[in-house]
Amino acid sequence: MTLKQKLYTVWAFYIVSIKRLFRDRLALFFTFLFPLIFLFVFGALSHNSSVSLNVAIINRSNSAAAKQFVQSANSGKVLKVNKEVTDFETANLKMSRGEIDATIELPADFGQLKDGLPTGQAIVHYTQNNEQAATTLASILQAQFQGMNAQLVKSPTPFTVKTEKTNTHSLSAFDYTFTGLLGFAILGAGIFGPMNYFPELKKMGILRRLHTTPLRVWQYFLSAMLSNATTGLMSIALMLIVAVTVFKLRVVGNYIDLTLFVALGIIVILGIGLALGGWAKNERQAAPLGNIIVFPMMFLSGTFFPRFLMPEWLQSVTTFMPLTPVIDGARMILAEGKGLFDLGPQLGIMFVWLIIVYAIAFRVFRWE
Amino acid sequence: MGKKTDNILEVRNLQKSYDDKKVVDGISFEVKRGEIFGILGPNGAGKTTTLEMIETLRPIDGGSATIDGVDVANNPYTIRGMIGVQPQTPGFQDKTKLTELIQMFAAAYGEKVDPKTFLDEVNLGDKADSYVENLSGGQKQRFSIVAALVHNPKIFFLDEPTTGLDPQARRNLWELIKDVRDRGISVILTTHYMDEAEILCDRIAIMDNVKIIALDTPKKLIKDLLKRGFTKAQQVEQANLEDVFIDMTGKGLRN
Repeated sequence: MTLKQKLYTVWAFYIVSIKRLFRDRLALFFTFLFPLIFLFVFGALSHNSSVSLNVAIINRSNSAAAKQFVQSANSGKVLKVNKEVTDFETANLKMSRGEIDATIELPADFGQLKDGLPTGQAIVHYTQNNEQAATTLASILQAQFQGMNAQLVKSPTPFTVKTEKTNTHSLSAFDYTFTGLLGFAILGAGIFGPMNYFPELKKMGILRRLHTTPLRVWQYFLSAMLSNATTGLMSIALMLIVAVTVFKLRVVGNYIDLTLFVALGIIVILGIGLALGGWAKNERQAAPLGNIIVFPMMFLSGTFFPRFLMPEWLQSVTTFMPLTPVIDGARMILAEGKGLFDLGPQLGIMFVWLIIVYAIAFRVFRWE
Repeated sequence: MGKKTDNILEVRNLQKSYDDKKVVDGISFEVKRGEIFGILGPNGAGKTTTLEMIETLRPIDGGSATIDGVDVANNPYTIRGMIGVQPQTPGFQDKTKLTELIQMFAAAYGEKVDPKTFLDEVNLGDKADSYVENLSGGQKQRFSIVAALVHNPKIFFLDEPTTGLDPQARRNLWELIKDVRDRGISVILTTHYMDEAEILCDRIAIMDNVKIIALDTPKKLIKDLLKRGFTKAQQVEQANLEDVFIDMTGKGLRN
């Protein structure tokens, strides 16, 4: 057979597998809809995080000053006031559940006139493990009262603070969320796909039948790579459209770099799936080993939690996991506007894994 | 390359063992060009293992097999291009049209074909756009045969091709296998049905306990048995129940 004929074989198998995917509702769901559902859930979660403190206010005073305080707290951006809470009992319950961070109590004498001036002391209640929130809340109130004090009593203010915006844009929580979910989609399609699909083909005797033809393993793998990269990129394009339109994702980088980089990521991760599925004789053999490999990547490579939240030693270990450079690199292109040439370390780790996983995949592949 | 002979397949002293247990013990036989050759034997006799070694699916432990002068063990990919294989269970992936499967199998041999002509050959032209999972057992078998012949092989292997089929479908498959032979493709098959072997096979080998214990034409084997003084306990009628069944339901193929 000439090389051209051999590549025609790859092409024909690729076309059939793409057609087959679009006829399979379950496969369509897991390829396209499943990652989108995750995107909507996690996108909604990370968008709510702009509110810094959830509090309740219990106002026991009738004074004008107390009313004014409650009003300004409700309209401000810093605090999110839970208006359902009016008594201590519910406040305590909600604090113990972590639904609110702290409770502000205005005692009955808050705002009472003393020597012609309104005075009072607000009390911040908090649970034992919420000290940080209480300290933050106390200093916010402190600053607010200082402003009020300054209006009532004229006094010089030698030291002040002013805030100023810089021109640079920092990464938002959603930048991390989106590239994490992108990694999750690659993981799902690249590993869970072949892990379930190959043992099924073996059970039906399809691979055994192909084994009687001159088809080579590399041709079969290459067609799997092409079809996985095609559907993976389509699924990620769909996610990107939703992220940009619904969640206002800011894309700084170049789409061509992103496509090439993500395609390489898909092929690296697919190698793990091909090794697992190609080795396993049946589903029962594939699942346990697959889970051992997938779950650490799922939780430590930055899919659901950004890696900067991890202790330093764990960060340096997880840098070298196969999915980590894929997620990091995608974020650097998408959100930081880096190009492929800036991603040397990421590409390096990916190439090493590419060689390792495919060397294993070719070695352990079984036709039945 | 060995010299070309009248034999399409030559098997010499073929051996296979698993964990020191012999599953094929030094068997030798030839398949002539253009004949249908049957291997009979109880389960576990070594029929399937023998076929799988010749089909390059299992490593040959000892002895040799050559197809059209090409050594099987040394040239597995050349051999795969020369043989057609119909496994016991016709495995095809679901949600794929018959035309696409034919194209896919041809592509496995690096060839482009017109699937329609192949499907018409086995009366499946009107099923061209169906998926395999929607075919009946007999249709699946016919499709499986045509899918194994897309590359025009020199020898065709069938492992228990008619197991589980109704009498009409079996007869249809016999005709099909004879047609394949008449196209010049040698056929080698295993079966548990003696009537099938008698009607279809030009020569048969009987295997038992991992060895070949008899090899000849069906007629000659029967004659030899009678010569040894064998008589049936009960006189056989001129017809049997299958004849009744076919007489009443006809030979027409059902789907």
